[in-house]
Amino acid sequence: MTNAIPEISTDSDVIFVIGSNTAECHPLVARHVVEAQARGAKLIVADPRLTEMANKADVWLRVPIGYNVPLVNALLHVIIAEKLYDATFVQEHVDGFEAVARSVEDYTPAHVAQLTGLPAGDIVAAARLYAQAKAAVILYCMGVTQFTLGTGNVVSLANLAVIAGQIGRPGAGVCPLRGQNNVQGACDMGALPNVFPGYLPVTDDQHRAHFEAAWNAPLSSRIGLKLSEVAEATHAGRVRAAYIFGENPVMSDPDVDHFVEALEGLDLLVVQDIFLTETARLAHIVLPAAGWGEKEGTFVNTERRVQRVRQAVDPPGQARPDWQIFAELARRMGYAGMEYQQPRDIWDEVRRLVPAKFGGITYERLEAERGLSWPCPVADHPGTPILHLGGRFLTPSGRANLRPVLFDPAGVPAEKVRQFPTSIAGAVAERAETEYPFILTTGRRGYHYHTGTMTRKAPAIQQVGPEQLVELNSEDAAALGVLDGDFVRVSTRRGVIAAKAWVTERVPAKTVFTTFHFWEANANELTNAAARDPISGIPEFKISAARVEKITSAEARALLEAKRQKYRVALEDEVAAEARPERVA
Amino acid sequence: MNRFVIANPRRCIGCYTCMAACASQHLAAGLQGAPRLIVTHTRAGTMPIQCRHCEDAPCASVCPVGAITLIGQAVQLNEGVCIGCKLCALACPFGAVTPYGAPPPSHPVRVGQHAFTDTPLWPGSLFRPEAGAEAAHPILAWSVGRKMVAIKCDLCAFSETGPECVRVCPTKALSVVDEPALARSGQLKRLAAVAALTQTEGGNGQGR
Repeated sequence: MTNAIPEISTDSDVIFVIGSNTAECHPLVARHVVEAQARGAKLIVADPRLTEMANKADVWLRVPIGYNVPLVNALLHVIIAEKLYDATFVQEHVDGFEAVARSVEDYTPAHVAQLTGLPAGDIVAAARLYAQAKAAVILYCMGVTQFTLGTGNVVSLANLAVIAGQIGRPGAGVCPLRGQNNVQGACDMGALPNVFPGYLPVTDDQHRAHFEAAWNAPLSSRIGLKLSEVAEATHAGRVRAAYIFGENPVMSDPDVDHFVEALEGLDLLVVQDIFLTETARLAHIVLPAAGWGEKEGTFVNTERRVQRVRQAVDPPGQARPDWQIFAELARRMGYAGMEYQQPRDIWDEVRRLVPAKFGGITYERLEAERGLSWPCPVADHPGTPILHLGGRFLTPSGRANLRPVLFDPAGVPAEKVRQFPTSIAGAVAERAETEYPFILTTGRRGYHYHTGTMTRKAPAIQQVGPEQLVELNSEDAAALGVLDGDFVRVSTRRGVIAAKAWVTERVPAKTVFTTFHFWEANANELTNAAARDPISGIPEFKISAARVEKITSAEARALLEAKRQKYRVALEDEVAAEARPERVA
Repeated sequence: MNRFVIANPRRCIGCYTCMAACASQHLAAGLQGAPRLIVTHTRAGTMPIQCRHCEDAPCASVCPVGAITLIGQAVQLNEGVCIGCKLCALACPFGAVTPYGAPPPSHPVRVGQHAFTDTPLWPGSLFRPEAGAEAAHPILAWSVGRKMVAIKCDLCAFSETGPECVRVCPTKALSVVDEPALARSGQLKRLAAVAALTQTEGGNGQGR
């Protein structure tokens, strides 16, 4: 995020939510949106689903799945045509404006209305609201990124914010909502295939020499595999061993069958987790890890705020904090550089090695100031809750560098791409067709977290979200003869699942939505691992061509039994029973 | 006047925290561990629906065993007296009374494996019984080994901190309406009505 979360309720007077089911997936951010609305702020929501945010919106743009770029380009078209942009800001702080302006010339509200079915008047109203706000913030999430044009979607939002001058002030900025407590921290620490901690490239000799000297070990200059490339590389024999921790990719990666086959072909699979997850059940070795309330350290949240986490209870049995397991492994493999006594020693090393971002963030300050946002280079630096203040960007020139973004569901014509040499152009991998006439899109429910490893073990949450539901539009339900609560079978080119239908207006016609919380009917058996963004590698979780059929409960039960075998569900009970013989009675 | 809890759909974000908290709080108090309010989604808005604690409560009128009574400005249901006849659930105009039965210890349901079970956890919700059971009204669904009793909002009368849903709501969408609150709300609207008619600021706010 370029801004701090509370600015939404205190400073933003227009909030543009796109591709984010904020109320369910980030309820504590949604709380600030509700407060902002109570203060009089206006809410624009672009989402194909009638989420709670869409329900609260002043302007709801029910954009078809995958059509974010035409919408954003149309907003830019209106803003430029009506001269609602900040010309001074553009002149002083922006490169590449002309190319973007030229690329959006065709995206008139009338044309995009025809392309998307959105009312042209709503597009114009949204553009005016956003551009004329004193401070407008963009909140986005996986409904922007999980496409083969995911990077392009993000860039087009950056174009919008920069051209409208809605960045670098309190309450004005671009805010990707990160889905996990410490996913920002993991990236900050270099848990990416191409960078060291602090986003320093592994290909840069100077940075590599810096870390080699500090760690007293040779480091590779080669960029590694992205997670989404691992399954293919394993099938090809290029990956022979995997060490997976804090992740349950059997449930959360696309095309489960393809992924499980890959894991089964490994010479060695080590899984480190707090429970015997669907992934851990396939492992040769399972290392029990401590949970978040059982360890000390720091997390970095979505607003780049480093925060202390404190141990509340002891880890059960032989479970240990991840850092102790890694350090012990390193020691036994003959490396002496990880002899840490406590998490604070590790954090102090981070501060020493990446002072530009973390140098001033000491444990003492974290205790006293309840968290600090990086960059915070020195002890008396206040931290940086707002990035790009006054239009200073993190490019070599200090100016924003805009790139046109082009989209056509069937692929942008080559001649068009040639007109815009700096552009990012894309399409969608799968479209509805005779055999698969629906579009399946995937996401989360408010009451479950990710693959359900933790939340499906909580009785209170079980009361609220006991089972998988497939959202099906009432028009389609009538055509299929499906009543609310009937079982439906959803199939794609990858697989098949069965779950109860939730007949609802939340999804538009010819669209179904479901989640990856339940092994009984995991949406990722259906998603497409082959369709990936060429830049970031993110899979197109949001679009699969699908078939939907009504089935009997007997058919659903048969399929359930097959899933029980596939995910080795009984193994978790068996292991739990062995571990606690006194509880078996 | 009976008190009741009601939600503001403008503030509700449908996060289900109230339902989870309600189930946990009642389980901890030795009552049926199920939510007494049900988040309901519509195009017009989303909010949890729960008991209005009616003055002339239809549920109490139809109860054949006197399990539902007026106690402490609330309509209270004694789960120990209830015979599970479900008439209250049929009589309630808001769908705010639901039958629920915890499975007996001899039939443990493993947490995390509720899907595809024969009976819904709380009938009348969006998690409806499967197709085979649809002939029966959801309120009449049952299963072997479970004694169902009616459950409804009791304003967490056993708790010193008041209704748990109100306490935990992250957007403060839920509130308790009691006599002073209702009087205040009415008075504000009357003042606004005068102001609208006279085009003034509504006097000094002290008028009765």
